[in-house]
Amino acid sequence: MAKMKEKVIAPEYIPEKGSHVLTIDKEKYLIVNDAMYTFYQRSKGEFSPFFLGIRDDKKILGCKCTKCGLVRCPPFLTHCPDCNFAPTKIVEVGQVGKMLSTPPITYFANSLFLKMAPYGRGRVVLQGADTALSVNVYTTTGILAPGIIKKGTEVKVVFRDERNGEISDIFCVPTKELTKAQVAKKGLLASQINWEGAVEPDLKKPTAADKAAYGKALKEIKSVIKLMNQTERARKDIAGWKRDIKVKTTGGEFAIIINNGDIKLEEKKLTKPDFVVVARDPKVLADGLAYRGAITDSIIMKRLWISKNIEFTTIFKLDRMARSVARSKK
Amino acid sequence: MSKRVGIVGAAVTPFKAKWNEKTYYELAQMATREVVKDAKISIKDVDSVFYAIYNDIFERTCIPEHPLQGLIGMQDKFGMRVSTGGATGAYTISAAHAYLAAGRFKTALVLGVEKCTDCFDFLSMSATPEVIKTIGWSGDSFFEQQLGWTAADSYAEVVLAYMDEHPKDLKPQVTAKISSLLSQYVKNNKFAQRQHDQVTPQEVMNSRLIVYPFKELEICVYTEGAAALILAEEDTAKAISKNTGKPVIWITGLGEANEHSFAGKKQKVMPRIMSDYLASHRAYKMAGIKNPMKSIDIVELHDAFVHQLEITMSEFDLVPRGNADALIDDGLMLPGGEYLVNPCGGLIYCGHAVGASNVMSAWSARNELIKRKKKTALVHGTGSTIAQYTAVCILEHD
Repeated sequence: MAKMKEKVIAPEYIPEKGSHVLTIDKEKYLIVNDAMYTFYQRSKGEFSPFFLGIRDDKKILGCKCTKCGLVRCPPFLTHCPDCNFAPTKIVEVGQVGKMLSTPPITYFANSLFLKMAPYGRGRVVLQGADTALSVNVYTTTGILAPGIIKKGTEVKVVFRDERNGEISDIFCVPTKELTKAQVAKKGLLASQINWEGAVEPDLKKPTAADKAAYGKALKEIKSVIKLMNQTERARKDIAGWKRDIKVKTTGGEFAIIINNGDIKLEEKKLTKPDFVVVARDPKVLADGLAYRGAITDSIIMKRLWISKNIEFTTIFKLDRMARSVARSKK
Repeated sequence: MSKRVGIVGAAVTPFKAKWNEKTYYELAQMATREVVKDAKISIKDVDSVFYAIYNDIFERTCIPEHPLQGLIGMQDKFGMRVSTGGATGAYTISAAHAYLAAGRFKTALVLGVEKCTDCFDFLSMSATPEVIKTIGWSGDSFFEQQLGWTAADSYAEVVLAYMDEHPKDLKPQVTAKISSLLSQYVKNNKFAQRQHDQVTPQEVMNSRLIVYPFKELEICVYTEGAAALILAEEDTAKAISKNTGKPVIWITGLGEANEHSFAGKKQKVMPRIMSDYLASHRAYKMAGIKNPMKSIDIVELHDAFVHQLEITMSEFDLVPRGNADALIDDGLMLPGGEYLVNPCGGLIYCGHAVGASNVMSAWSARNELIKRKKKTALVHGTGSTIAQYTAVCILEHD
């Protein structure tokens, strides 16, 4: 059940020992790879019933004040501060609830959660509870876009198949994306839901107009990429970064190669790209690279498609380069 | 009876995205050197130091202030650190004021410093995701950190809850105009990280979503730097002022409030920033301000996010709640309007060196009160999860 073989710090996060010299105004400065880390064997203390309930019994527990009757979930108190510290008692709450307010969606995550983005995090008031539980929210239909989950949206708690007694062992999805049986099921597992996979969009057979649009967009993208290479700030944005990107459009296909400060466009079909971008209309990508709208937003709004969500990191870098070129022109 | 306390010196270091040339030791000393120069006193004349440093992990040490005590010439004297998230600087001013008002000291150094972009993510080969992660350790460690809690997503929770209640307010065109306006103000701040980064409203609208509903050009930028103030009780302040020829800027009002960090019935009221409301109104009461719309000339507001700036202005009762867009639509914060808001460019353009940020804001408010010969300014700090903490200072021209 628990992910016993995982390390508390994934190996890919751990940098190698090393140092380098940075020269600024002819002065040398020493930069050293470093870390500050502490390991814990930390008790969940009075929260143990709550986390054990999630891990072992697929239950959500709250605490009820014996005086005012307020049910707090999560059960973060043994005594109620509003009732002169009257004791609370543990109660089970429902696994369906409503969003207290519209949840934010994180597209640019912190380094530990880059693989998880985009994700929503909001607060659900579960049936039988008065306070809100902080949870991740997902859609089963692909990338979470604004408007899918809002204030008052009914959601269902879903349990991950592998659980370790952590708050991240559960998340919520809208009940309208589930069957009645799934909504009614206590302890619904993630594996019992049909998640729409990342299906590459089909491209129609190109017309002459598509080919002309491709040629026009390609010309502009080449020109922008040339500018990016000439802009020191933009080159810094992709320092230490390497990616081979396959770009498919209705009118044709090309590659964008990022290699540690260099970016180039090659008119070839990559056989082993790091990821694929599909732009039915290549102008959308050209607009993004030319700083006429963010590429990130085009993906969120489904005007562009990428094969791996983790590659939002690369997309952010491309958006950043577009802005760097714009800034350098000022 | 408590003593009057005023600001008699202020200084900042350049705010930069990254100071490879200096550690936080040197940044702290730089600001100290400049502030005693501004007040025309010796560090030997300063009785106490109050450090505004937010995050131990940024400085890569616990008790980050301990090496500074001797390095700034304050050995063998009183030294105390305050750490209250984004509100650290404003709370530190409040703490220093309390000691001076109580008569414990005649002078105090308020010293804010932060060095955040030493943090580095080796996977994306950039600093920002690791900076956000470091701030992410500030989220609730049992119920939120593991969900990818960030400062941005927690403030976005409050903003979206406000927008649930007031769907016609905080229009994207207005938030874009505010950001663009701040980018114009920053041209006059030679210490700012983005002094030369002027943007149009259209550029703001076109910038990418970071955390819905925040776009890249609507969010403060992480910065490294330091800022310092010299505070003094009335007699000492007047003597220093006579020597410098600069007026005393009196601290006439202070207010603070920290809300619940959980939400729901009898918890945090999500569509509101009650901490901003309570702290500002406590400060108004202390300063004897009955009509803030008439009294406040300059606002140096902790603009972590443009949307939050608008909500905070409404909690200050400087614009109606539910129609905060009047800041632009009715010209309240446009040049020539009722208030001058964030003439330093705010944290979005000057930069957010967390512990130093509100101290920098007080530096700017003092400069503007003197330069523009205005009467009253409000300095604000907000912090912690879901805008939980606030401290507000009212400054008045002599």
